[in-house]
Amino acid sequence: MPLTREDVRDIADYARIALTEEELDEMTAYMNEAVELLEPIRQYDLEGVEPTFHPIGDLSNVMADDVPDVEVRALPVDVALSNAGSSRGRSFRVPSILGDQGGDR
Amino acid sequence: MACLDQLSAAQIAAGVAAGDFSATEVARASLDAIERRDGEVQAFLQVSADLALAAAETTDKARAAGEALGPLAGVPVAFKDNMHLVGTRTTCASRMLENYESTFTATCVQRMLDAGATPMGKTNMDEFAFGSSTESSAFHPTANPWDTGRVPGGSSGGSAAAVAAGEVTVSLGSDTGGSIRQPASLCGVVGMKPTYGAVSRYGVVAFGSSLDQVGPFGRRVEDVALAMNALAAGGRDPWDSTSQPVAVDFLAHLNDPIEGRRVGIVPALMDAAGLTQEVRDAVSAAAKALADQGAELVEVDLPNIASAIAAYYVIAPCEAFSNLARFDGVRYGYQEQGCATLAEQTSLSRAHGFGEEAKRRQMLGAYLLSSGTYDKYYYPAQQVRTLITADYARAYEQCDVILMPAAPRTAFKFGELSDPTQMYASDMFTISNNIAGNGGISVPLGLGAESGLPVSAQLQGPAFADASLLTFARAIERSFSPDGGAPVAPAFAGKGGELA
Repeated sequence: MPLTREDVRDIADYARIALTEEELDEMTAYMNEAVELLEPIRQYDLEGVEPTFHPIGDLSNVMADDVPDVEVRALPVDVALSNAGSSRGRSFRVPSILGDQGGDR
Repeated sequence: MACLDQLSAAQIAAGVAAGDFSATEVARASLDAIERRDGEVQAFLQVSADLALAAAETTDKARAAGEALGPLAGVPVAFKDNMHLVGTRTTCASRMLENYESTFTATCVQRMLDAGATPMGKTNMDEFAFGSSTESSAFHPTANPWDTGRVPGGSSGGSAAAVAAGEVTVSLGSDTGGSIRQPASLCGVVGMKPTYGAVSRYGVVAFGSSLDQVGPFGRRVEDVALAMNALAAGGRDPWDSTSQPVAVDFLAHLNDPIEGRRVGIVPALMDAAGLTQEVRDAVSAAAKALADQGAELVEVDLPNIASAIAAYYVIAPCEAFSNLARFDGVRYGYQEQGCATLAEQTSLSRAHGFGEEAKRRQMLGAYLLSSGTYDKYYYPAQQVRTLITADYARAYEQCDVILMPAAPRTAFKFGELSDPTQMYASDMFTISNNIAGNGGISVPLGLGAESGLPVSAQLQGPAFADASLLTFARAIERSFSPDGGAPVAPAFAGKGGELA
């Protein structure tokens, strides 16, 4: 079943990419064409086949020693903030996320 | 005196060490070549003249002080613009990162600098590495030095073109589905994607984290081997948890005999739809050349490889969507002004910061990871990945390396592949290797009989057999490049770049 324009609008909302009406049309056509390209994946009988999520199979989650590496790697606050679109003091600045001006889901 | 573009990396390093010329003179020659050639090629997004001259001066002072110089001393190197280098912007050829100043230096870049290389600048690419032509760069296209009306391939098109035009001796690119090997093929240079984990990804902007791998371009296999030694020096990188120790001297195995060693040929790939006759003929000639040097040709089968593109276009967009979620317009990157809410700021920053293809890939990933769809595509794609990996493992029981085309055809014209899914087929011979995590290399075979444009063979090998890929690549080079390496594109050879 092809994706509808409304489906694509929902995906864009989820992906946090605002699309114009014209872009929605193009994106819907693209998404349906791309999903068709993926069809071979669905033709397999994969019963009993283990997935490979990563080429290095034996990766496990490891924790580093909890030692601040201030001298070598830690970014000083001013450097960490230097590429931000908006900052104040030692913080990134964002529009309101609570109250009347908010409404962020 | 010689033009810089006639010297190998080893010759430059030896010349600097011997005092035949200084690293500063080499850096100035490279800057001159860039000045004279890059107006037409447009391989660079930034030329880091100050950094280059400072690094060269450090090398020259070290020599004057009697210190030992690195194996890449004074060698002019360019970096794909998804690699962090303090003192440069790292833009990923995107409006999103147009003004992003690198806050640290990537391990791969640092290791090249530690080996004595001179950083000439940052090269153009498809936006966030999404593409096979470098046309999706937000800033400008890059021309193929062999025919400036055609694309250099991609996504590492700038790195391939800078080497093909003789502006630099070596460059680094990254390869998620063919982004080193395909542009190397279209530009007629050597391009290597090492085994996943062989080179640290720390400081390289992530696209598909289980697929991405950094590797070098050069006009000679030896230059690429030297760069591989530099990238592997220092062992495992503690800042990339997937980095693996590689204790091999790539240079030492370059001229190992291939007599009695086995080269796999996959008949189905040699008959693949979309493969042009001139590429097929050239790759067959490469097989014959290897046989003439004593290698044994064996037929092998990779039965699930036809599904590699489908598996890739599930896995890669999902990983890309996940990785590019970091571009929220808050901590770095383009930020939409005047928004009432954070949600609006995020959606508009992403809408206006990302280009078309970057949006497409993320939308596809977002869809494929959504509930209900995950079980239909994402999980099965990872199961197909198991089958493809097993195909390779079986094939490598019968052969040491597999020989195949690198790209189905020679360089195409700007705008020729306007349909995105048609563009995706450009990587039909390279993608399966990223899925399995193995190494691969593109080796020039001269010019195609029909197009007159560069044609390449690709060698693929088992995981961490990258040194033997270089051995076989050198064997092909011996037959196809009697001068010891691929030529600089004729329109640019000798244009500026004289070593004073």
